[in-house]
Amino acid sequence: MKKALHIIFILCIVVVFGMLVIKKDTPENAFSENYLTETENITYPAQNKNITLDGVDYLQSQAPVGKFGGELVISTIGEGPKTFNPCNTKDATSSSMAGILYDGLLTTDARTGEVIPQLAKSFEIKGTDYIITLRKGLKWTDGVPITADDVIYTYKDIVFKGLGNTSARDSMMVRGKLPELVKIDDYTVKFTTPEPFAPFLRQLTYPIVPKHYFKPHSDQGDSVFGAFLNPNTPPTQIVSNGAFKLKEYVAAQRVVFERNPDYYKVNLKNEKLPYLDKLVYLIVGDTNNEILKFEAKEVDVLGLRGSNVARYKLKEPTSDYKIYNLGPDTGTLFLVINLNNRKNAEGKYYVSPVKQKWFRNRNFRNAVDWAVDRKGMVKNIAQGVAAPLFTAESMNSIYLNKSIKGHPQDKNVSKEFLNKAGFYLKNGILYDKDGNRVEFDLYTNAGSLDRESIGVMIKQDLEDLGMKVNFKPIEFNSLVNKLSNTNDWDMVIIGLTGSPLEPHDGKNVWTSSGPLHLFNQRPQNYKNDDRYSWEVELDNIFEEGALKLSFKERKPIYDRYQQIIYEEKPIIYLYSPTRITAIRKRFKNIFPSALSGLVYNLEEIYVGDDEEKTSLGGAK
Amino acid sequence: MEILQKIFKDKFAKSAFIVLAFLYLIILFADFIAPYSSTYSNRDMSYAPPSKIYTITEEGKWSLPYTYNYIREYEPALMQTIYKQDRSKKYYIKPFVKGEKYKLLGIIPCDRHLFGVRNGGYIYPLGTDINGRDVFSRLLFGGRISMTIGFLSLFIVFPIGLLYGGISGYFGGILDTIMMRFAEAIMAIPSFYLLIILAAILPSGMTSIQRFCLIVVILALIGWAGFARVVRGMVLSIKNEEFVQAEKTMGASNLRIILKHILPQTTSYVIIAMTLSVPSYILAESGLSFLGLGIQQPDASWGNMLKEAQEFTNILYRPWLLTPGFLIFIAVLSFNLLGDAIRDFLDPKSQSK
Amino acid sequence: MEFWRYVAKRILQTIPLLIIVSLISFFIIRLSPIDPLAELKLNPSISQETLDKEIKRLNLDKPIYVQYFSWAKSFVKGDLGYTSAGEKVSSKLKERIPNTLLLTLVVIFMTWSVGIPLGIAAAYKKESSFDRMLTVIASIGMAIPSFFFAILMLIFAVKTSWFPVGGLTSYNFNDMSLLGKVIDISKHLILPSLVLFTISLSGLQRQMRANMLEVMDSDYIKFARAKGVSEFKVVFKHALRNAVNPMITLLGFEFAGLLSGAALTEYVFQYPGLGRLILEAVMKSDINLVMASLMMGTIMLIAGNLIADILLMITDPRLRTKG
Repeated sequence: MKKALHIIFILCIVVVFGMLVIKKDTPENAFSENYLTETENITYPAQNKNITLDGVDYLQSQAPVGKFGGELVISTIGEGPKTFNPCNTKDATSSSMAGILYDGLLTTDARTGEVIPQLAKSFEIKGTDYIITLRKGLKWTDGVPITADDVIYTYKDIVFKGLGNTSARDSMMVRGKLPELVKIDDYTVKFTTPEPFAPFLRQLTYPIVPKHYFKPHSDQGDSVFGAFLNPNTPPTQIVSNGAFKLKEYVAAQRVVFERNPDYYKVNLKNEKLPYLDKLVYLIVGDTNNEILKFEAKEVDVLGLRGSNVARYKLKEPTSDYKIYNLGPDTGTLFLVINLNNRKNAEGKYYVSPVKQKWFRNRNFRNAVDWAVDRKGMVKNIAQGVAAPLFTAESMNSIYLNKSIKGHPQDKNVSKEFLNKAGFYLKNGILYDKDGNRVEFDLYTNAGSLDRESIGVMIKQDLEDLGMKVNFKPIEFNSLVNKLSNTNDWDMVIIGLTGSPLEPHDGKNVWTSSGPLHLFNQRPQNYKNDDRYSWEVELDNIFEEGALKLSFKERKPIYDRYQQIIYEEKPIIYLYSPTRITAIRKRFKNIFPSALSGLVYNLEEIYVGDDEEKTSLGGAK
Repeated sequence: MEILQKIFKDKFAKSAFIVLAFLYLIILFADFIAPYSSTYSNRDMSYAPPSKIYTITEEGKWSLPYTYNYIREYEPALMQTIYKQDRSKKYYIKPFVKGEKYKLLGIIPCDRHLFGVRNGGYIYPLGTDINGRDVFSRLLFGGRISMTIGFLSLFIVFPIGLLYGGISGYFGGILDTIMMRFAEAIMAIPSFYLLIILAAILPSGMTSIQRFCLIVVILALIGWAGFARVVRGMVLSIKNEEFVQAEKTMGASNLRIILKHILPQTTSYVIIAMTLSVPSYILAESGLSFLGLGIQQPDASWGNMLKEAQEFTNILYRPWLLTPGFLIFIAVLSFNLLGDAIRDFLDPKSQSK
Repeated sequence: MEFWRYVAKRILQTIPLLIIVSLISFFIIRLSPIDPLAELKLNPSISQETLDKEIKRLNLDKPIYVQYFSWAKSFVKGDLGYTSAGEKVSSKLKERIPNTLLLTLVVIFMTWSVGIPLGIAAAYKKESSFDRMLTVIASIGMAIPSFFFAILMLIFAVKTSWFPVGGLTSYNFNDMSLLGKVIDISKHLILPSLVLFTISLSGLQRQMRANMLEVMDSDYIKFARAKGVSEFKVVFKHALRNAVNPMITLLGFEFAGLLSGAALTEYVFQYPGLGRLILEAVMKSDINLVMASLMMGTIMLIAGNLIADILLMITDPRLRTKG
């Protein structure tokens, strides 16, 4: 009996093995269905209008009238908001949450990027004077009217004093001087900048906070103010003015907002917006979790990338969501080379003098640039959902220098550059003209599949040139420690966020004294002038660009800075992923924008009828 | 040897032993068995599915096994990458083909591989990863790291633990109290966090071999305290036995007594603990890799290969990336079964975990 | 009186332990090259001034030993300080502890109610095929990397839509009735506790089996059998009581062990527990948060052991005199 069982068992294994080995060659039915996704023409609504009803200055949305009620569930990756105090936010999640609660005087038009009125009814620029007229009859959520005093308080007591996050004050300074601010009447204020200063207007998008609610806390200094409106504040206590007010915060799980019934925006029928009753942000740890939640219909919006896109694109026709292509991402992904030639406090060079000679040689950097396989990265790592990037401005920036066309990968060009710089090959190993073997470290943050794979590709390409590249993914926070404190790195693959609207926001990166001048980081209060001539030019560009007021005047200036970076290549840009976003079809008034994404107009979005989504051919 | 005989009497232990022996044999000869090296990559074949191997031709005739190459196409409307077979040319799978050069067992230079295809064909028995690297080959090379990391750690844990526990138990008194308080403190820090903190401290300027060694050391650093405590307990009970006392009166040195008489008594416990703790090191490495703190690219380990597989779309559409998970499972299971069996033979009443 | 002296002695003994633990962890964390302000530093719109302010607030400009003493001083006073993001550590812990306790209790309940009977059964039918099967099944549970098992479970949840995908409560939790709330929480708890259950079951089952075997082998059981006591009574009345005693010690360890063992599972399931909080804090070198949680973990471990010892003294009169 036992033997028989054994024989049967062995036979089974043989059969299974045979089935694996013996396989008939039959042509596969290659997938050939043609999916032609209809390109729907989206008609964007006209600009909002001002309208006065019963003495209240409303803002009238020109978007189609929708239905009230319903909820929208969005996800936010990370640990959730750390504060709801709009003056103290230091990370993206907190500032977007605080941004929902608090409106600024002005705001950015989601599609054109222009600065348009929000809490302000209108604004006027006369030379260096900015006269802002507030809407009348607006109220905080506790019923107290919003007046010029709140504006004065926000700027004078918080921003100018440097409470909370001081970055706003920093951005408003013109050559070390702050603008002046005076109250003209209860609904009018006037800012005066010491000099014409282009980025200033955009600074007026800073959120306005209620004086009567904030003052008792801001008066007690920075440490009290820093803890004010932390996520554990009871939601009902928070006084705000945005389209939604806070309803609930559950640690590490979600933030729930509810409709502000007193918001100052109305629809074409003069009904008060927003449409949605509830706005929910689920806090998810990583993209994988976000995708699963979208699949399980727990989340309504999903940002897609790389290899995920194909799945959703394929299933789109039969699904309850719609996919929008929002164009290139606002961030940049790059390889930065350390040009630092300084010594640290102990008198040791950050970068060894031998390596300095390579990295500070433009031909060497060019050789690296030409060896980088951007096309391969786009194809493999982004699975085709991206475009090669060559400029310092992101591809959707309105200041993008379109004359920079880039170049394909060509290792022969790289070799020429290396020859020119005196490097030579011996037995497939690259030596510099002093006979040192070319070997250096390449870092990136561990845990990111994309960046690790990019590193593997760059390592291979550079090793084809005879260099020895030690690729070392390390923990993100340790990597930043290297970049900003210890400076002991050779090359790093990393990304930065940017603004597609205001190149001046990059001044911390590009000016030689900036705290994020990665490729040639100088210590604070550094006195020596050891700038490259092109670094001097960059410094001038960022000073000059800020003082010019019109786009037309500024464009050539910022074109030049991109040209310099492209020629000098301290930073080698890699690729720019395309943003693809899916949203459930039942949500209406969705107007995708390359600058702002998909759900920027939260107050206009409404939940449409469920029938509409199933009756495909039905007339409206 | 006696143990081996006993193992072969037990069905589960026998199969576990055979599986492990097989795995170790394969990783020993990984260079030869793998068709490609661990750094080989084909940029045009990122995420290519496993090569299909045929033994019966389209016409229904028997044939030597052959395969087709894939061609990658991109469908812009769907933003999808599609792999199609290039049916114009058959590539026969040949044994002992010439390929990339390597050193067999680290000594003998060689360029033959167990199997492969010639003339521009490729064979990916388990598909490729995002960089177009052969998953099958990397599995073998990754196994070298994953399957040895535990053993190497144990070689650090055991001397430290034995000595520490031995000294502490043998001398007793205030020394014992101090040493045990310290060991308890190490044990009181939840090991997983200690592991993460230590892994994050690793100096970043290391080569991959140094990194591997340091991870071994870290894994060992959190393991020794518990082990030392058990050894101390055993020593405490052994040292009062007559033969030890007799040796003492004969004037043998303390060290000699610890090394020669007391520690050998702990052998069976050591063997059990060894087989039972290797799997936890394999799992710990995969957990570290999941957090991006383990073995780093471009080196392969089962843990960091599995990390790549864990994305939703990869699990659904690229199941071949899950094979490292399967191997971790098999290896850990085998170690557990084997350890259980050994414990039963050596020490049926043991309460060690 | 004797009893209270024992408890007091045990509590006093923990003080040096806490000091050693805090020293070790503090210095290891602070010596690591992790920059707690990394995210701020890499944000182009954050000014140098803001950075300087943060460095000052977090005491990063002071030598490590000064940092340690200032931490220790406030810890002794009961002030756990602020996280690097500026939230109160105590309130962060307060949010998470109930969730972790809930999950831990559910898992312990599940493993004990399944593991103990299985352990007894395996010991009773020692070396039968049933015993072997149990061992193999338990080993299988232990052989899957926890995070991977968790991911597979999540995909299972998505595919069947029987369970929610991670978290602890649905977003409309507050609008539910009491019954609805209970159902909602249980639905969220099933998968993570199943994963933790699978992983910790085998250890418990083996331990129980080993204990039971030892007891069954002892003289008094042999004696009872010889006396003709029914087999049922032998197993459940005499053997079981003595075999479970050592398990109580294990309970203390298990309680603390789940704190760290659950971290990856909590992370994958996005469970708002302590494990995930500590994991994220460790990765960012958020020192006050990490230290507070480690201290708490240590205290919990010690408390667990103490409680287990006290329970033992109550259940096992022989130990009472030993102290």
